Parts: sequence; C-alpha cells; structure tokens
Amino acid sequence: MATSRMFVKVFRHNYKHLSRHTKRRFCSSNNTNDITTIPLSQPIPGFTPKYAVNTGNSKIETEVTTLENGLRVASENKYGQSCTVGILIESGSRFEVAYPSGISHFLEKLAFGSTTEFENHDQILLELSQIGGICDSQSSRDIFMYAMSGNTNNLPSLINILSEAAYRGNTLGLPKICQEANISIIDKKVLYTYMKNFHTPDRMVVAGVGMDHKTLVDLVRKYFIELKRPIWEEDSNLIDKSKHVDKSIAQYTGGDLRVEKDLSDVSLGPTPMPELAHVMFGLESCSHQDDDFLAFCVLNMMMGGGGSFSSGGPGKGMYSRLYLNVLNRYHWINNATAYNVAYDDTGLFFIHASSHPDNEELNRAKTQLQSMLLMNLEARPVIFEDIGRQVIANGFRHQPQYYYDAIGRVTASDIQRVADRMLNTKLTIAALGNLFKLPDRDTIQSMIYKHSNSFRQRFRIFK
Amino acid sequence: MRNLHPLAMAVRLLRVTNTFSKFLTNSNQHLKLIRCYSVQAATNPVLNVPETRVTTLGNGLRVATEDSGAPTCTVGVWIDAGSRYENEKNNGTAHFLEHMAFKVSVDILSDILQNSKLGEEEIERERGVILREMQEVQTDLQEVVFDYLHATAFQETALGRTILGPTENIMSIKRDDLVKYIQTHYKGPRIVLAGAGGVNHDELVELAQKHFGNIGIGYDTEIPTLPLCRYTGSEIRQQMDDMPLAHIAIAVSGCGWADPDNIPLMIANTMIGSWDRSHGGGSNLLSRLAASSYDENLCHSFQSFNTCYTDTGLWGMYFVTEKGQVTEMLERVQNEWMRLCCDVTTFEVDRAKNLLKTNLLLQLDGTTAVCEDIGRQMLCYGRRVPVSELEARIDAVTVNDFKKVCMKYLWDKCPALAAVGKSNMRQEILMQSKKFVLSACIWKNEMTL
Repeated sequence: MATSRMFVKVFRHNYKHLSRHTKRRFCSSNNTNDITTIPLSQPIPGFTPKYAVNTGNSKIETEVTTLENGLRVASENKYGQSCTVGILIESGSRFEVAYPSGISHFLEKLAFGSTTEFENHDQILLELSQIGGICDSQSSRDIFMYAMSGNTNNLPSLINILSEAAYRGNTLGLPKICQEANISIIDKKVLYTYMKNFHTPDRMVVAGVGMDHKTLVDLVRKYFIELKRPIWEEDSNLIDKSKHVDKSIAQYTGGDLRVEKDLSDVSLGPTPMPELAHVMFGLESCSHQDDDFLAFCVLNMMMGGGGSFSSGGPGKGMYSRLYLNVLNRYHWINNATAYNVAYDDTGLFFIHASSHPDNEELNRAKTQLQSMLLMNLEARPVIFEDIGRQVIANGFRHQPQYYYDAIGRVTASDIQRVADRMLNTKLTIAALGNLFKLPDRDTIQSMIYKHSNSFRQRFRIFK
Repeated sequence: MRNLHPLAMAVRLLRVTNTFSKFLTNSNQHLKLIRCYSVQAATNPVLNVPETRVTTLGNGLRVATEDSGAPTCTVGVWIDAGSRYENEKNNGTAHFLEHMAFKVSVDILSDILQNSKLGEEEIERERGVILREMQEVQTDLQEVVFDYLHATAFQETALGRTILGPTENIMSIKRDDLVKYIQTHYKGPRIVLAGAGGVNHDELVELAQKHFGNIGIGYDTEIPTLPLCRYTGSEIRQQMDDMPLAHIAIAVSGCGWADPDNIPLMIANTMIGSWDRSHGGGSNLLSRLAASSYDENLCHSFQSFNTCYTDTGLWGMYFVTEKGQVTEMLERVQNEWMRLCCDVTTFEVDRAKNLLKTNLLLQLDGTTAVCEDIGRQMLCYGRRVPVSELEARIDAVTVNDFKKVCMKYLWDKCPALAAVGKSNMRQEILMQSKKFVLSACIWKNEMTL
C-alpha cells in the first residue's frame, strides 16, 4: 500500500476559495505609486514581504491517536501555509458482495452532496468559497476517501464540512438521482445499510498533513463525537438489519477476458494513430502486508516501461528492461508498461523477468524507487493518502525512511525469488481491440513458465 | 556534491518551452540528512515561506535557493534560450538539444551543459525518436490546435513556429548546429541555478562556482537579440470530415510576464476557469460559463488560458464541442468576455481573486514545484516575487481596475482563432467569427449608447 499507492496521481482538485480581504495600496512618499501599475519585475516600494524563520527543531513524525469510539486520527505537520485533511474508510467495491454492485461509485458521486446541515452541494461550495478550500472524493477497490485542502487557518470549518460529508450521511439528495432507470435498485436504504456496516469509526482514519496534531484531535473529537451522530443511529428505519460486514478474503484465480472491438475510429485528426490492440497480462504478486512486497516493487521498477516515443531520462527509466529489450527493439509496440498491480505489456515482459539481474541494474532500480518514494511524498495530498492507508492497514505509519531503508536491503536473490513465485501463478489476460491474432491462454501460459525451454521458438507466434 | 550522488538521483527532463530550456534534477538527499523543521500551530497566521537567497557569480550566472529544511530537495538549471530564439532554418534545435541532454551518460547538470559529447551516433538515434514524438504530439488535438493558434496569431515570427520544428529541420539538424546553439545561448547571465527544499545556499553557490564558473559571459560575435513577435488577428481551420467533435481555440493578444496587467488578466482567466462534463454543475460555480455549459450542454469541455512570453502573450479559451454547437458556444464565450469588460460584479471579482490566491498557494506543494517557480520567476521577472507580495498585488485589484484591463485587451480586438473538426464547422465558425470581429465594434456602439 504505502509504496504501491505512493505513485497515485495527486487527485484532481476543484479549486474553490476563500477568505475576506481588504484592499491595500502600498505607496511611496509621493502617494501616486499605484501598486497595479508597477511591473512584476520591480519590487513594490515600501512593501516588506513576510517570511518564516526556519529555526524549529522538531522531528517529522506521524502521530496517531485513537478516540473513545475507535476512530483513529493520524497527522503530520509540514512547512507551509496550506493543509490537507480527510477521511479514509476501509470500504469499496470489494466489500459489495452482498449489495448491488456500484454502491461505492454511487457514494463517491454523492460525496459533498446534501447533508443534514447543508441543503445541497451548492451550499457546501458556497461555504467553501468563503472559508477557502477545495474538496474531493475518490473510491477505489478497497478504500473510500474524502479529502479537503485549504488554508491552515480554516481547519475548523474544513473539519466541520468533512464530518458532515463522511459521517453524518450525505444522501438526502438521493431520490432525485434514483429516478434514473438503470440505477433504480440502489436506494436510500441500501446505501444507508452499506454505510452503517462499513462506514464505522473503527474502519475509518482521519488523516491530516500540515497542522498541529493536538489541534486536529480536538477538532475531530468535537465534530465527530460530541456534536454529531450518524443519521442512521437516529432513524433506524433507514437501514436493513439483516446485512453485516463482509470479511471474505480475495482469491486469485487467473482468467481470460477478451473484448473484440473495432477501434479504428478512436484516434482521428490530422495525423491519426494506427489502430491499436490493448492487451494486459497479469500474474499474482502479493499483498502489501507480504514480506516480498518491496521486492515486487523493485522488480516492477526494473521492468519500467512507458510510451515508445519517449525513451525518457535516467530517472524515467531509460535503462529499464522494457525500454532496452522491448520498446527500443520492436517499433510496432506503442506502449509497454509494467505495473505492480497489473502488468500491461506485450508478452515479452515475463520472459525477460526471468533472466538474472546484475547488480548495477538492481541498484539503479532500487535508487529509482527510493527517489520516487521521496519525491512523491513531498506533496500534501500524497502524504495524506499514505498516512491514511498505512494507519488503516497497520494502525501506525512508517516514515519514508523506513521504506527507504527496506528498499536498500532488497537483494538480487529476493528479486529472483519473487519472479519465480510470480511466474508459477496462473495467467490473467484482459484484451480489447482487434484480437484475432492473440494466441489462447494456455499457449501464452506455457511460454512464460519459467522452466519452459521452448519459449524462443514459440515467441515467434507474436510476429 | 552531497545531493547529486549519481546513483542517488533521479533526473527529470522537462520540455523546452518557447522561451526557456530547463533541466531539473530532483534528488533525494539520504534521509540521515534530515534537518530542522519549523512547526506552525494551525492558528498561526504567519506566512510560512522561507526567504529566497540569490547570489550572482562572476560570469553573471545566478544561484537562487529557498531552504525549507525539508529532507528532499530539487535543483534545476534554467536557461533563457527556447524556440523563440530560433529562425526558420534552425527551428527545432532547442528541442533537439533537450533530447541530447541525457543521452550522453553524464551524471550532473554542469556536465550536461558543458561537457555533452553530442556524438554523431546519438544524434542519429534521437532524430528518429523526435520524429516519433512529433507523431505522438500530432495525435493530441489540444497540442495541434495550440500550435495552429500560435502559427496564425504570431504568423511569420518566431513564436509562430512549433517547438519541435518541421520535419525537414529534424532531418537536417547537424552536430554543428547544436554546438553553435549552445555557444550562442548558454551564457552566464542567461542561466539560473535554482534550488528548493533542504538545500544550503552557500554550499550550492560554492558548487556552482566550481561546476559552472567556466561558462562564458560575453560574445565574440554579435549579441543575439530577442526577435520581436507581432500579433495578428486571424484564423486557421482544418476540416476533418470524420471527426465527431470540433476543437477550437480563440484568443486575443495578451501581455508579457512582467506587465502589471498580467495580474488582472490572471484573475479574469480564473473567473472563466475550466470545466468538463464530469465536473457537474450548479448555480454557485464561480464560472458562469461552466454553469450554463452544464445546464444547456453547450460543450464537452473548455479551458481558459493565459499564455505569457517575455513581451507578449495569448489570452483566450480552448473548447471542445459537438456538431451544431460551435456558433452557440462562440457566442457565449463572446458574451462572457464582454461581461468581463462591463458587467462584472465585486462579488465575482473577489471570489476569483480568492481562488487565484489559493491556487498559487497550493501549486507550491513539493520541492519540484517550488524550484520550477523560482527558476521561471528569476528569468521572467529578474527576481523572485515573494508570495506575500503577489497576494498584495492580487488584493489591490479593484473591480474598476479589472474592467479597465479587460477593456484594454478584449474590447474591439480582432481575435486569433484555430480550429480542427468536422465539415460544417467551417460555416459555423465563418458565421460567428465574422460576427465576433464585427460585434466587437458593435459592442462598443451598443454599450456606449
């Protein structure tokens, strides 16, 4: 989680702002020097900029406090005037077994919609525009997230809106949306039942970056415990009592899913792209709790990859295997990228993955991963998500230093071991486009088995 | 160099822009170098930003740093030498150099600038890569439309040419051309070494002296001057019958980086904002155009832009819309622009000012963003503009100032327009763009009546 999710895109912000201010004119002695006429290349006469003095001695660490009801609050302070705060909930499509599929997506769309305090989304936007802040909600397969960013001074208001959005139930606006024909199975009761079971304090973490921990804990206690209760606790008719938390464990099966589709009209324009087929091959790697997790991350880095037009710089992986052995050799491959969760490539990936890594290559991948880790963890939204995910998984947060060191300890034999482990799992194929030349799954599976000695001949099948 | 140990760094190469080349190195200092960290209480109103320190070396090269004591840092070199300095014959050279920069297995920035071998074999290899990149860029319709917009708005001038250069040039650029370009433009006074994060200013200055101290300051030949780029209101359209959508950019002549009018234009840009269909709608959206786009299904997406160069710029709007909606959308854009000049309220301007300040603040998240900001400002403004000063400048703009500047740039101006799309777009645009130019005059008459 920590590292694999480290590379998440910084979520799309809907910038909205902010505080009252007064008009200021900075005048030189003759009183005619209007600030709006001074070029930006010249300082404003008489204006003294404000700077912070960097004298503090505090160490950076993530503090975690568990409140009376099991809700965890985790935060870390940061140099700068803005903060990111939000809630991560262990909830998402993987828990939807007993419910109509799509509930999380539904909740994501309803996030920051109507609540008991705010009549509708517009009201929340208006409030935000006055106190300064932006909001965002994202759902993934296992984590649901509400996040807000804004000026640190407006933290209390941000927390208030957050508690409204996440805890109080935000679905009063639902009937309007539910009239749509296709989604009529999901109603208010289903949503509240789902939220009652999954949006519970012990499955939630309030995470923050850029504020004092005690201030945050006090505010969370005030808005999440003292002032408010979930809407379903006040009106038990809102929920269906027969449903409970789903604790089933994910089981990797492998599989083959192909969708034949004419993609010839996807990229039009003055110079259209050639028609492409998209193929993903996947093998089972491991959970982020597994000891081999970081070795898989390093392996992923060694494979690297990207678009064929840019061979990248050293930091973008120009020496990675997918560039050296695939993209630079076969001009017809448009894009090949290795993912730690899903492996997207053209079938050569695993063949090369089984060859022996030399030390220079390994060190390069390790350093690249370390540097990527640290660079990504500079931005508040990324730190925020990392804190939340780690605390949900482990109950505490490792500092980047921990992963930095752990990556440093990965050896060539670790890589060899995880590659073997992966190559012995069943293959998953997902493909879209014109696929009549794609071999069947057994053929591909036999080509990638580590001990298969005939893959060189069989490989020709791709040409 | 403490933070530029070859293996402990990731070098990110960013694109050559019209006006600069930039090389950024984002390096992770080993974490044992964690240093002081200032902690502010949530209620503390002090602007928590470190001061920028600037030192000029003997050869004119400037070193600018902001030390926030963070455990990571970014160091980058900015050079005032982009495609703006190219002519018809060598258009594409700066971009070619961008490709060569990291192909020569060098480890640190000074090597890249001064000791690049520029081997013939590597040059040949990159030629193919650039042509491939060109193909890629041309499938991105937004890029295509913006290239067309520059081609028409700055026709016959350096800004009208693309950054990649035409295919003929990519095929014909030789080692000598690259070397000559470096010798002409990579001069001390035109280079800024910027650092942000856990970076010690004195240390960086020392390193700069050691590694960049030998870069020349003067010219044996004639000193290259910044070629003037003239704006021409005009249009360019490419008809693509099988495309379902029209991609259109419309702009007026904007201002240069340092022009004080840039602040109101930035506010105006924020007020129009950007939107796409997944964003939803609502009457409290800052942008009225977004609200009506949502309600009336006017377009798939739009995006207001304010592109600045040293002495000129383009201020306008890019949008993607369906068949039959082009005329309507252009009319709405025109109405909205007209409203900026005459009809805008204090409430709207205040909200846009607040939003702009938040955006500026949130953009400075992470050492890479800060480093880029320092480098860009040092070249554009010749100094670092403190955040608090920028906020003061935004605060100082009144509704009247705002209207006055919008009037100056929008009112009665002939726009430049670039469009790629389906067949009847031609007529739709023709109808509206005539009106657009004409109505600019009509606006004036109607409004003064």
